[in-house]
Amino acid sequence: MHKKTLTLALAGLLSCSVAAADTVFFSTQARPLEEAQAMRDKVLKGFDGEVQFLPQEDGPFFARIEAEQKADKGSLALLGALHGDYPPIETALDNVNDLIPTLQAAGVSPGYIKLGKLGGEDQMYVPWMQATYIMAANKKALEHLPEGADVQALTYDQLLQWGQNMQQATGEAKLGFPAGPKGLIHRFLQGYLYPSFTNSVVTEFRSDAAKQMWATFRDIWQVSNPRSTAYNFMQEPLLTGEVWVAFDHTARLKDAFDKQPDDFIAFPAPAGPAGRGYMPVVAGLAIPAKAVDRAESARLIKYLMEPQTQIATLRATSFFPTVKVDFPDDLPKSVQISGTAVAAQANSPDAILSLLPIGLGDKSGLFSKIYQDSFQQIVLRNADIDSILDRQASQLERLMQEAGAPCWSPDLPSTGACPVK
Amino acid sequence: MKSPVANSASAQVQGLARFNPFSRRLSPQNNAWRWLFWAGVSILILWVLAPIGLLIINAISTPAQVNGWPKSIAPGIHTDTLMFFWNYNGVISALINSILAAVFTMIIAILLGAPAGYALARFVFRGMTTYKMIIVMSRAFPMPLLALPLAVIFIQVGIDDSLIGLAFVHATLALPFSVLITSSLFMGIPVELEEAAWTMGCDRWQAFRKVVLPLAAPGIAASAVFAFVISWNEVFASAILTVQNRTLTAFLVQSLAESPAEIKFAGGLVLVVPALLFLFAIRKYLFSMWGISNR
Repeated sequence: MHKKTLTLALAGLLSCSVAAADTVFFSTQARPLEEAQAMRDKVLKGFDGEVQFLPQEDGPFFARIEAEQKADKGSLALLGALHGDYPPIETALDNVNDLIPTLQAAGVSPGYIKLGKLGGEDQMYVPWMQATYIMAANKKALEHLPEGADVQALTYDQLLQWGQNMQQATGEAKLGFPAGPKGLIHRFLQGYLYPSFTNSVVTEFRSDAAKQMWATFRDIWQVSNPRSTAYNFMQEPLLTGEVWVAFDHTARLKDAFDKQPDDFIAFPAPAGPAGRGYMPVVAGLAIPAKAVDRAESARLIKYLMEPQTQIATLRATSFFPTVKVDFPDDLPKSVQISGTAVAAQANSPDAILSLLPIGLGDKSGLFSKIYQDSFQQIVLRNADIDSILDRQASQLERLMQEAGAPCWSPDLPSTGACPVK
Repeated sequence: MKSPVANSASAQVQGLARFNPFSRRLSPQNNAWRWLFWAGVSILILWVLAPIGLLIINAISTPAQVNGWPKSIAPGIHTDTLMFFWNYNGVISALINSILAAVFTMIIAILLGAPAGYALARFVFRGMTTYKMIIVMSRAFPMPLLALPLAVIFIQVGIDDSLIGLAFVHATLALPFSVLITSSLFMGIPVELEEAAWTMGCDRWQAFRKVVLPLAAPGIAASAVFAFVISWNEVFASAILTVQNRTLTAFLVQSLAESPAEIKFAGGLVLVVPALLFLFAIRKYLFSMWGISNR
């Protein structure tokens, strides 16, 4: 009887398939297949131990961690996620205070170490890698630059003029922003527009300078590709030529620079009346409280923080090291192209560092939503700027008070919750 | 997330369902009808084949062609992207996991679903309508809502990260279909046939096995296909309930959304092909279900 043999064979296979326990590295970063492959083949291969790297979408990532916490038993050994991902799962994490000396010795900046405390006493994650947002342009766009404008030191007015010039010349809107469902437009508002116009993110939310900023952005939107509300990763419209000039995360521009390095340039984000706002992105490594073998997890963290591993991670993901390293000469094109722009942006004389929100706990998502909603109402639906800002400002104020979060850069330090004027 | 497999499979089923009755009714030499018939047929065929064709063409094109404009219909044969999948760590074991989970889902869904369908078709019992409602109700809760408590229980019970545990969940999703399909199937088989078998000396089980089951087999196969496809397509539960033993969808779909376009196409093809091959292998049963050999 074949059926019986088949059933037996199946049952056998099923019971065998419960594999030996590897160190499981759960991550919301390095999700694209090629990056995941590079993480396994190039980065984790050097570790003396079996590591299973499993990139996750946010939903399953959080659900699995929550499930393990509730079940009081875990199979995950290491978590890799963005700074903003950690506050909601803070209680499911073990602290990594024991690794602080390693970080200091490796040259991780004190600011980043402090970010990893999530506004509390204990170190909850280890700053693993960093990136930022920059601008990218097709070289065809350069001839339409407004007269006297230096692409390495643009202003938002010049960006607007540039967009208008391109539209006149080609009949198409060639500027693009990642305002799609998975796009990062809210970071453009929080980390770039607001600091550049108001030198603030929270306090000056509804100031006159902010109103000026929204009006300028509304004008820029007029010469931006209307498909921007569908773009998640700007590398795709850049590669197809649908968009010539775009703003996005370095990792989301990578493909364009790697595939056609001769066609694209990278340059710093524009400056506003207050300066050139920019925002770093920090990803961190954390150990779940229910990790089976904490010592092995800590050993893997130490391995990932070694300079050589950090360079390998840079090649794999386009995220830059958080430790001190000497960069080799043969880095991928995308890293070479974006690296110069990242440095120029951070070192420009009018640079304004805008940090990721600190101390908002699980309200980080709501914080971003306030900016996204304002964008939708003011820019996409053309609503009245004053009334929208008044409404959103009261929400922002309530949120800051509920979270009790003091101001972070570029806002001036506050005693108690960060005020909204 | 809905993968193209489900759509194309159901489109195929619909196409087949319409094909036979139409061809009989429209056989007279009526030109307008014939024209309409063939137009309908080609639309249904294109409905299924065009997306798969586009998927194949883009999967074997060079990245430059995939991103470029204008598109050409003839692909430049370029297998690098597909080879990337073949060499991708863990794809093979994920593929095996997917097949095992789907086969197991199929077995559980049929073993539990067919008897329930038979009972609903042949007997009248108290609470029958409620029972039917409850069966359908199990589809009313979205997976993301169920996955968390399920994962907690699975971890505590110890069937977490196993394909059997996953197959139980997938079978729960597939059961409403297998119960409803098989019950309408058994209803369509006249009870007189069974009674005739009884009068000739069969007991209830023999009558079922020798008379009803052969008649119902194609339909049961069809509900098995549904179970297979449901398990094959399911991502969320697989992603949460398994860690080291991932199914192919849980392994790939999560990463595909953010990969470059040519990888998305190749990945889509890799996900669709096994399910298509499976449908092809059992097409005989599907064809006979809609009336050629058994009624």
